[in-house]
Amino acid sequence: MKRGLISWDHGELPPADLDARLRVLHARMAEHDVPVAVVYTDVWRSNDVRYLSNFMPYWNRAFAVVPRGEKPILLCSLSPRVYPWIRSVTTHETILPSPSLPVQLVKLCGERGWSSVGIVDLMGLPNDLYTQLRAQPLAIVDLPRSTLRSAATATEVAMHRRAAQLARAALKDGLTRNSGSLTDFQLAGQLERRMRRAGAEDVVLLVSDGTTVPLPPRGVRVTEHSSVCVSVEYNGHWAKLARNLAGVVSPLAVAASDTVHLETLSGAGGWAGYRDHEIATGSVVALQVEIEQGGRRLYFGETGLTRPGGDLEIL
Amino acid sequence: MLNPIRHRQFLELMTERGWDLLIFCGDPWRKDHFRCLVNVNFSGPLGIAVLARSGEVQAVVTDPWDIDPVAAAINGSVTLAYDPAEGLRSLLTRERAAVVAINGMEHMEARLVSAVTEAVGTSPVSATVDIEEIRRVKTPDELEWIRKAADLADRGYQHFVSVCEAGVAEFELVAEVEAFVKTQGAEDNFMLVASGGTEVTGMKPPTARRFMPGDSVTTELTPQVNGYYAQICRTLVIGEPSAPQREAYTIFAEAQQAAQDLLRPGVDIADVARVQNDVFRKRGYGDYTGPQYTRVRGHNLGLYPDELPHVLENVHYLCKPDMIVIAHPNTYLPLSGYMVFGDTLQVTATGCVSLNKTDRKLFQA
Repeated sequence: MKRGLISWDHGELPPADLDARLRVLHARMAEHDVPVAVVYTDVWRSNDVRYLSNFMPYWNRAFAVVPRGEKPILLCSLSPRVYPWIRSVTTHETILPSPSLPVQLVKLCGERGWSSVGIVDLMGLPNDLYTQLRAQPLAIVDLPRSTLRSAATATEVAMHRRAAQLARAALKDGLTRNSGSLTDFQLAGQLERRMRRAGAEDVVLLVSDGTTVPLPPRGVRVTEHSSVCVSVEYNGHWAKLARNLAGVVSPLAVAASDTVHLETLSGAGGWAGYRDHEIATGSVVALQVEIEQGGRRLYFGETGLTRPGGDLEIL
Repeated sequence: MLNPIRHRQFLELMTERGWDLLIFCGDPWRKDHFRCLVNVNFSGPLGIAVLARSGEVQAVVTDPWDIDPVAAAINGSVTLAYDPAEGLRSLLTRERAAVVAINGMEHMEARLVSAVTEAVGTSPVSATVDIEEIRRVKTPDELEWIRKAADLADRGYQHFVSVCEAGVAEFELVAEVEAFVKTQGAEDNFMLVASGGTEVTGMKPPTARRFMPGDSVTTELTPQVNGYYAQICRTLVIGEPSAPQREAYTIFAEAQQAAQDLLRPGVDIADVARVQNDVFRKRGYGDYTGPQYTRVRGHNLGLYPDELPHVLENVHYLCKPDMIVIAHPNTYLPLSGYMVFGDTLQVTATGCVSLNKTDRKLFQA
């Protein structure tokens, strides 16, 4: 769950970048002939609205409603008491209290005279919202996620790089030969502390003792055959890396046969984690490989940017 | 692992409702929809279990690292599907015309519900409300995990107090507490904080704000152990509490105690909210018990940190033994700003017991 530092450093994520993303969406809306676009977000599926406005729902769910040519309006059921905080870390100026997202959206459509609405990844909506919206007298247009997002921008890549650096530094300092005196709970706690104090927003750690795939910590002793896989989110941008205590490394390539784990972290693909699409050039991806050594399973992985030909630029 | 009591209860529910298949679909936010049957902390985007009337469990996972733990838990077949809709279609192909119910259907992506409809030829029905009702009363094993989580919440709050001091930033405090509870075996922790004075109207994720003398520092700390959450809410003042802060604390403590004194089997959860709000009304602060200043007067806990029913005066539900409820009259008061106070309570045969052992006081740092 989200419980680390959620912030907006305008030097790191310039408002002009968010303006540019909005302009792209406005242009796509014109192509699809829709007066308004809706993007869904919740605690898990947070990346798209984060991309658009930097809004992160640490709890609950929301719609970012984008009238053509205008700034996004936020429909959310978080308490108005946290609106000042939302405004301080996002581009949202207008926030509408919405105990029911479909009801508020339909009301807004009525007020603004919108008879059709474009929804980004319509079938990716939670079924209750989908069903309620389908029952409304609105023409609904399914907008593919590529309407909103295409190749990762330089700003995005830089923030993924920051996330990767944060994870790499924590693993370098925290995963040593001395780690063998710890349980995986203790190791996870130490690594989490380093990353959260460095500004991580979310951290997920998996540990292998050499006999299993990386799993959530379960109280077992760290051994010389152990590996740690770290997913870290820094201001909405993820990186995922794996290291092993033995210090074994491996070359990484998207098409390599020993790649056991591949995820798109930024780009026009499906929701984070689904691998139901081709990996496009210019995507930020995480690759993890399994290395067999003396009957043990070691893991190594990195986050990188895909280059033409399937090469990976490590971030 | 497969929860044997729930497995039996869900099979009985299927017989009662005439369902051929019961699907449990969880995502990283709502893993509980999956873990109430198969208690595996899956790593990928989705965990889907399919329970047949025979008792057999099959699963679809979307991450290769989830195959082994889920297979070990269900002692059945696990399908890895990078396209989960396709995975569901292929799993359900043999189930033409089956009556299918889904736990968590409301939260499930529409494309997955559509895939189920396509595969079996009929629209599935939601099992969420029925499953929630079963989950509300915890099993003996579940109670044991929640007790462990409550103990960890207590120790986590001790660590919170030991780290909190002027000059520390909110996010640094959270980093220390998160690390502590993880070191002690928490798999996750839901935690909100706030700091400051009467300008503070609610809690949120931590900011870079640094604590100052006189601040109220509030938190709800909710560690998760083996899937199960327990929560503690306390307020700490940096330095000597002011008279208004002390007065505010007495209102919160009295309100929480009123809820704890009332909570027992057969009591309407609305009354658990009412007795808390009555304390505020009696002291002239009734205006601060509504949605403008607060969300709920408590909620249930289990595999999800905000289980229903919520403790609100307009929510009616008769409490049962072995429900786990946190009563927390958390709200804004002009005396102190936003303040919190609450313990995790287990409903017993004759009343309730607090699972938290942390001192009931306004803490100081």
